[in-house]
Parts: sequence; structure tokens; C-alpha cells
Amino acid sequence: MESLTKTYTDLDRAINEVRSLSEEWPASSEIVTLDDETLHCTCLVLHEWIANLHQHARFQKNTPMVKIQLTCEAGRVACFVLDNSDGFDLTSYLPADDEDLEPFPERGMGLRIIETCTDELSYTPTEDGLHCFEFIIPADHDPWMNTLF
Amino acid sequence: MSFDAETASSETVIIHVGEALDFRNADDFKATFQEHVDEGIRQFILDFSDTEVLDSTGLGSIFSLYRAVSPDDGKVAFADVSEPVQVVVQLTRTYKVFRQFPSVEAAREAFAG
Repeated sequence: MESLTKTYTDLDRAINEVRSLSEEWPASSEIVTLDDETLHCTCLVLHEWIANLHQHARFQKNTPMVKIQLTCEAGRVACFVLDNSDGFDLTSYLPADDEDLEPFPERGMGLRIIETCTDELSYTPTEDGLHCFEFIIPADHDPWMNTLF
Repeated sequence: MSFDAETASSETVIIHVGEALDFRNADDFKATFQEHVDEGIRQFILDFSDTEVLDSTGLGSIFSLYRAVSPDDGKVAFADVSEPVQVVVQLTRTYKVFRQFPSVEAAREAFAG
């Protein structure tokens, strides 16, 4: 099991650096390797999540902080992202199964992309006052989103 | 930061997307294509050769371009699509709408023909 942990107090920097996660992890691992598509999906989900925090989360007077931990297990990526925002009820923002997007939407695709790419998605408060976004991406996942054209 | 746009012909403009098209520069992308749409351009080639990130807002801005040109039978093509962008294209099935070419030159030739 190979893990990578990164902590950021600058969300722009976090977003810039998650692009290159696939280069530094788990490329160094000789134990587990994942296909490029799974790694790119992981980077995309992390980008969308931190972008969501950047644009919408409330951090009160705190300097925004995110701590990312990625674990590469047999056949899957497990990830959590801790943050010090006020949090929100993720389930109330996720689209209902029967809710269609407008054709060629300009906004509102981020959470759909996250939901489509992941399994076991959650965002919950922790005992120490932070919030934790957790997800799993199976390596054999073949996600597709029902975007309307 | 504006995007690098190159006039390929009187009808076609190439926009070099660069490293990222995301929520931080999607408005710049829209301002770039709008300038050419206002001049009557209806064919756009998006060069993704150097693109490491295309996020949902970036894709939304491309949809915005498509909505701007499609009523006049305009076209938007993707060229030299990088691996991270290809993941988004596959995930959202946008290849059904935006024709893909292996290179900018191939897209340019297809548009010229």
C-alpha cells in the first residue's frame, strides 16, 4: 500500500500541484501501479473538489487549509481531503438520479463529474472540527456522465 | 490572461489552450473567442497539445463557444488532445459533438476542405 500526503494553505497552489500528482505518485512505487486513466481521474476529482472549496466554501477568518492523502491499494485509489472550512451538506448538492442537466451546461458539472468518477463518496465533519471528503476510484471503473447534447 | 489565438483563414481561428482551461481562466477564454465570434468567425480549432487541465468550468466555456457558433452552422474541433483532456472528453462523451483531430494541421485541412 503506497500513500502520499500533502498539506496546503494556498488553494491555488493545491490546484496547480494536483495536476502533477500522477507524475510523483505512485510512479515511485514498485509495489502497485495504476493505469494512467485512473490517475487522471483522481487528479480531475481532486481538482474539481478543491476548485469547489476555492469558489464556494466559507473559511471564516481561517487561512484555508487542505490536507490530501492518497492511498494506492490493489486495484483502486482511496483518497481523503481534510479542510478547515465550515463544510456543507454534500448530499443536498448532488444531483438526483432523475435530474437532467440542461443541454451544453456552462456550470453545474463539477459535482456530477466527481460523483461519476468515484465510489463511496462522502463529506463529513471530523471530531476535531474539520471536514473530510473521502472517495474511492476503482481501477476498473469506466465512468461516463449523461451530458445532454 | 488572454489566450493565444491564431487566424488560420478568413473563416477559421485556432485557439491554443495552453496548460489549463479551468475556473480561473474560463472567462478569459470566453472573451478571446467572443472577439472572433463578433468578427464573424464560426469555425474554431482548439489546440490541446499542452493542456494538463480541463475542468468542468473550462468545458462549460467550450459549450458556450459551441452555443455561440452552432446556430450559424459553425464548428468547434479539438486538436492534438492530451491525455488529461481525453479523460474529460471520454467521461462526458463530448466527442459526439466536437470532432477530434490528431493535429492542428489535420483539423485545419479538414476545415479548409
